[in-house]
Amino acid sequence: MIPYERTRQQTIPNSAVKIIGVGGAGANMLDRIALDGMEGAELLACNTDVRTLTSSVAPEKIQLGRNLTRGLGAGGDPALGNQAAQEAELEIRDALRDRKIIFICVGLGGGTGSGAAPLLAQLARDEGAFTVVFATTPFNFEGARRREQAENALAELSTLANALITFDNTRMGELVLAKQGVHEAFSAADRMVSESIRAVTRIVMRPGLVNIGLDDLMAALSSPKSRCLFGSGIAHGENRAQQALKNALVSPLLDRGSLLNDTDTVLVHVCGGEDMTLYELELLMRGLSKHVPETAQILFGTSVDPAMAESLSVTLVSSLPEDRLRADFSKNLSAKKAEKVKEPDAEEAEPSEEALSEETGSSEKPAELDSKDDAVADGDSALESSLGSQLDGVEEEPAADQEDAITLESADEEAKFEEVEQDIQLDAGSNIRMRVKELPHPGEPDNEERVPDEVPVLASEEVSDSGFVEAVPSLAETGQSLDLEDDDAFFAETGPAGGPAPIKVESLEEIQASAKAKRPQDELALDGGPKGKFEGEDPNLIEGEDLDIPPFLRKKK
Amino acid sequence: MGKPRIHVGLEIGTTKTVMVVAEVKPDGSVKILGLGETSSAGVRKGEIVDYPQVRACVKAALLKAEDLSDVDISSVFLAVTGPHVEGLNNRGTYRLPEGESEIRSRHVEEVKEIASDIAIPSEHVYLHSLIRHYAVDGQPHATMPTGLMGRKLDAEFHIVHGVRTRVQNSIKCAREIPLDVDDIVFAPIASAQVVLERKWKEAGALVLDIGGGTADYVLYVDGAILASGCIPVGGDHVTNDIHLVTHLPLSKAEQVKKTEGDASGDPEKSEGVVTVADEGGFPDVELKRQILNDVIRMRFQEMLELVRERLPEDGLLRIGKGVFLTGGSSQMEGLGELAQDVFGLPVYKPESPDVSGVHAYIKDPQYSTALGLIRYAQILEEERPNSTALAKASGFLRSLWPFGG
Repeated sequence: MIPYERTRQQTIPNSAVKIIGVGGAGANMLDRIALDGMEGAELLACNTDVRTLTSSVAPEKIQLGRNLTRGLGAGGDPALGNQAAQEAELEIRDALRDRKIIFICVGLGGGTGSGAAPLLAQLARDEGAFTVVFATTPFNFEGARRREQAENALAELSTLANALITFDNTRMGELVLAKQGVHEAFSAADRMVSESIRAVTRIVMRPGLVNIGLDDLMAALSSPKSRCLFGSGIAHGENRAQQALKNALVSPLLDRGSLLNDTDTVLVHVCGGEDMTLYELELLMRGLSKHVPETAQILFGTSVDPAMAESLSVTLVSSLPEDRLRADFSKNLSAKKAEKVKEPDAEEAEPSEEALSEETGSSEKPAELDSKDDAVADGDSALESSLGSQLDGVEEEPAADQEDAITLESADEEAKFEEVEQDIQLDAGSNIRMRVKELPHPGEPDNEERVPDEVPVLASEEVSDSGFVEAVPSLAETGQSLDLEDDDAFFAETGPAGGPAPIKVESLEEIQASAKAKRPQDELALDGGPKGKFEGEDPNLIEGEDLDIPPFLRKKK
Repeated sequence: MGKPRIHVGLEIGTTKTVMVVAEVKPDGSVKILGLGETSSAGVRKGEIVDYPQVRACVKAALLKAEDLSDVDISSVFLAVTGPHVEGLNNRGTYRLPEGESEIRSRHVEEVKEIASDIAIPSEHVYLHSLIRHYAVDGQPHATMPTGLMGRKLDAEFHIVHGVRTRVQNSIKCAREIPLDVDDIVFAPIASAQVVLERKWKEAGALVLDIGGGTADYVLYVDGAILASGCIPVGGDHVTNDIHLVTHLPLSKAEQVKKTEGDASGDPEKSEGVVTVADEGGFPDVELKRQILNDVIRMRFQEMLELVRERLPEDGLLRIGKGVFLTGGSSQMEGLGELAQDVFGLPVYKPESPDVSGVHAYIKDPQYSTALGLIRYAQILEEERPNSTALAKASGFLRSLWPFGG
């Protein structure tokens, strides 16, 4: 457990991240990651085949099935791969101990990958790490059997891992031009995985202005039995905000943004150089809102990294229940999942309601909020909706007082109650904190991050000061209770060193108003101008310009 | 060459529908017998959007043409255009079979087939496959290479294709009058037959046919087409621009464009104001010439630049003669100067006709496409003395048109 510190924002030390490549494809991805340079993270290669293992550039290597396969591959048999991994279980456990985030890169379909990856994910979770699995599924032409093996492994992994990000090899063609070599296609796929890993670590490890932590990440990925949607884009120069977003959306994992239409929670992380402007952020978020349903919760984070220089990167993380992603997904799996989901709900529904009733009556205790939050975190929609009305009550009370802040977070069992706070360092040197409340269930109009709206409020410090001072005890209480209650929480956001931590609390009405104001447009209106007699016709587009609009008006802009 | 033949050209344009009836005499001279013209309705940017209205227009033009020429019209050459029509070049190579070294017509047919075999989108249809050059063993030959000795025969084609359904719309319109369609011709190719003399085609010339809804272009180099295409911007856009910027009603905007507008960018022409009289007794509207001319110039400049960008890279360098402007909108004042600025080449602009009567049509750029259709028919006939153009055309149309024939 990481001790609670008041002095600074906590981040995960580099050494807590481990990247494991399993099987041949996993080793390739690992090599790519190593070649691209991954600061700090440890790399571990696991394989049955000793030849590929020795050629791997990973500093740490574990041979699976030393006695079972004797240095040969698993021969496409997942059962053999699994046994081989079991043989090396102790070794693997040692390697995974005390790691906070573990990335497992694997190519599914073969023996070692499909067999060993689920076991590795299990071990990683046992060791208490946040486990992200990057898996590729085989090409269509590899036949039904390999695909079936991959699907089975995928089904296991989706229950075991905190996040599962898959890439279908069949879609590799989209990454490269048709005439480019097969070598380039594969390395492009590997590069995508490596960039994804880097983006996830960037989110989690680098403290941000508006910080996003592991808790937010898990909230975005919380829906059980889900497939992770992931897109990351980087751009520089004029119009970089839009370009970066566009690059992120074209990721094959997002299907050009169309998959985002169904999601409940989207995590957006924007990282830019020191010249990143608020306006750019606003522009970007507005662009994104067209791809995301109104009701979705947007977890927004931003950080300034001087190393980004003039470029700006956008990372989108979300999850989509598998049945929405692919309706015909194997039935037995869903049955198995359903059981899994039910168990925790039954246990936690009771305490949560108790907690709620107490809270609405007396002034709330953060510790109780925790338990309530756990219940919400299961992501069971029925439970959530029943809680919804009560949650509203809780939410409004502090809003009225302008004293206390409650942050509700949706997360799965791992993620406990966390706060999202941010420091904005103004040049005047004043330390102002912003606090964002998040409501976990999708039915509610979401509480969007309101960076732009905050600014005028921040300017008038005096007004909010009284609220700030009064809020301190409750913050401290919240923070400490977090520490006491949450064994699994890796880090908690804390106030700045010494002095009162000013907290800005938004009333529910305010939030709703802002959500309404930011409602995405129904239709993407082409900018431009009047079209006179050509009004209502299809846009006459050549090279991005609508020729029906007078050039006189277009060019003058 | 036998008896004189009568050809009819039909152009369903964005602003007007024109039907020209002409007699081609055995000595090759063309005599225009009559011309029927109505203003079009239901055509936008060169394409039919309101079918019944267009049919009524064609019917009206037909009646006028028949009336004037005293000819019973049964079949027409039809001009088509629209932004969906594209031109591209392709080369086909054929190696003569072992033991044969003299090029025969079947070899030429073979190489033509190879050259025309180009991947066009499945919903598209060929409008033209025009031979550009032949080459025998790498030696270029402009004319038919039959009878020459050689091992390898190359053919370069310019292929014009467009969306099948849209082309069918035009044909259907004529068919329902009822009129047979002898052939369909991409509009600028027809215009070029009137505007360009043979030696200019050899020298290299760009024909720019700026109509009401589209600007069509065709580039001739070494006597053959190097590029062709259509940009969906025309005179209507200019009127619309004036309407949008100055808030004059469209009819007034059209009038001001024709009488007062100037595209040359000459500051002298942009001094002062234009007074637009109001018939209804309301005060006259005053309009700054500077604004009017800027609106017009920017529209035309963009249009010409779009054409320039679409030409092949070395296309402009290979133009020996210059740029020929035609089409109704080419009468715009100052357009010649603007075109010269954009292309950096000599610009030839047709003059407005100075004589009235039937012969005046020949000079009027508004009718160049319709007249070009007659020339096209004539050339087609000359090229194929054996088989009539009709037989060829109906064979082609049968592939395009499932009914009738």
